[in-house]
Amino acid sequence: MDQNIRNDLLKLFRENLSRAMKLYLETCSRCGLCVQACHVHASMPQLRYIAAYRAEIIRKIYQKYFKAQGSFFPRLSEAKELNDDALQELYEVAFSCTGCRRCMVYCPHGIDTEMLMSMAKLLLVGARREPEMLSLLADTSIEKGKSLALFKKDFLTGIKSLESRVIEKWKCPAGQAPIPVDVQGADILYVPLSGARSIIPAAAIFNAAGRNWTLSFFEAVNFGAFLGDPARTRLILERIIDEARRLKVKKVVACECGTAFRVMKQLSGKQPFEVVSIVQEMARYLREGLIRVNRSRCNGPITYHDPCQIARNGGVIDEPREILRHLAQDFREMSPDPAYNWCCGGGGGLVAMGEDTLDFRMKSARVKVDQILATGAKIVVTACENCHTQLSDLNDHYKMGVEIRLLSSMVADALVGPEETASTNPEKQTLRETTRIPA
Amino acid sequence: MNDEIKADKILDLKDLPCPIPVVKISKGIKEVQIGQVVEAHTTDPGSLTDFPAWARITGNEILKTEKGDKVFKFYIRRVK
Repeated sequence: MDQNIRNDLLKLFRENLSRAMKLYLETCSRCGLCVQACHVHASMPQLRYIAAYRAEIIRKIYQKYFKAQGSFFPRLSEAKELNDDALQELYEVAFSCTGCRRCMVYCPHGIDTEMLMSMAKLLLVGARREPEMLSLLADTSIEKGKSLALFKKDFLTGIKSLESRVIEKWKCPAGQAPIPVDVQGADILYVPLSGARSIIPAAAIFNAAGRNWTLSFFEAVNFGAFLGDPARTRLILERIIDEARRLKVKKVVACECGTAFRVMKQLSGKQPFEVVSIVQEMARYLREGLIRVNRSRCNGPITYHDPCQIARNGGVIDEPREILRHLAQDFREMSPDPAYNWCCGGGGGLVAMGEDTLDFRMKSARVKVDQILATGAKIVVTACENCHTQLSDLNDHYKMGVEIRLLSSMVADALVGPEETASTNPEKQTLRETTRIPA
Repeated sequence: MNDEIKADKILDLKDLPCPIPVVKISKGIKEVQIGQVVEAHTTDPGSLTDFPAWARITGNEILKTEKGDKVFKFYIRRVK
């Protein structure tokens, strides 16, 4: 590695080395409690998939360049030189980690391996060794922000083509647009994904609840965050912040996308609008009687997969269960419980990297398959497109014989008017515990 | 007009989850020679903005977009 490149990377390391990171790098006692916490290691027991081992590579570089002992006595502290081999190791550990933070829940010191992996990803971005596909997706998102005027007319044509499918789920009053776009002063800016399935059910639900809402021109997912590039993460996020401020909305509702919700919620900073997940919004509508659902439309045992970025890392745990109490006649909770839930294995940009990661994703998520099958559920509901794709791939690969659904689609398909029989009292719904799987 | 563009490869990208259409067109365009044309079929409204932005980033050329009731067809020439 060229010395100038190394110097630039070390500068990047130094500038982004937070106090929390230093603490994490200096406190790991190698107790081993994180060994079984990682779904990758639990499914494929190899040293390189232990959370502490992933962090160890960053730790050794830190020892070499930022600690006196590592500089002068590198062998004593197992210091590691930052070179091409080290970058390759960083790539392997960072992009086999989904950032689910399950290891953090088990660590007695609360070490955030995902934060340390963000340093690994940052060095890869600095060295231009990041995954090419994630980089292209991030740049495409940024380009859309820059050239919106060029694409706007076509986007509106595409949205128009979905209107009849929204009306099939919920009829709007005459004169009301089924999918309003660019509405100044709307209460809600809904930020979807590119796909129709993140727009149609949500539109029907907002219309059924009588909300004054508008659809964002931009997709919610932030590929800059998957990439671990703070500059591109910010640029992608700012497209949505600028749109929300321009339209003067009171609330930004993130679609069913874990990373989108977490980035918008935790990185938007102080804004004149609040950020919520559509899961929270749907739960509120049901709670306040703004929408009603007919649970007889959802037959068969149902379980729920908590997307890590929405539940463990986003705090939205009770709301999906509240919704499912309205929808499901036989809801079966997975075990271990939501805080310790196994990641689906598709996070961290792995699904977005396409078929290149398919084999790894299937092998590394064996524990998730076992966790789902232990419930005996026939329908697996989730609230993240990324998780939905990964669970669908697992369903095909392991011939699980289940149906994978998104929560918004379940709600939209069960919507009923006040004249129809709505959900039975959810308080009467019992949650069936399944056999516990050792964590 | 449609008959004037001859596709060298057709990609069915209908009903795929986000962001797979962009992932697959990125790979698919590399499977034809420079100057050849890929015809991509999508159903996601987002592809009407994603694909032009992707083309600007990658330097490829969208020759034509057909917007049907449910399916969008893109004719893309590989330039680089």
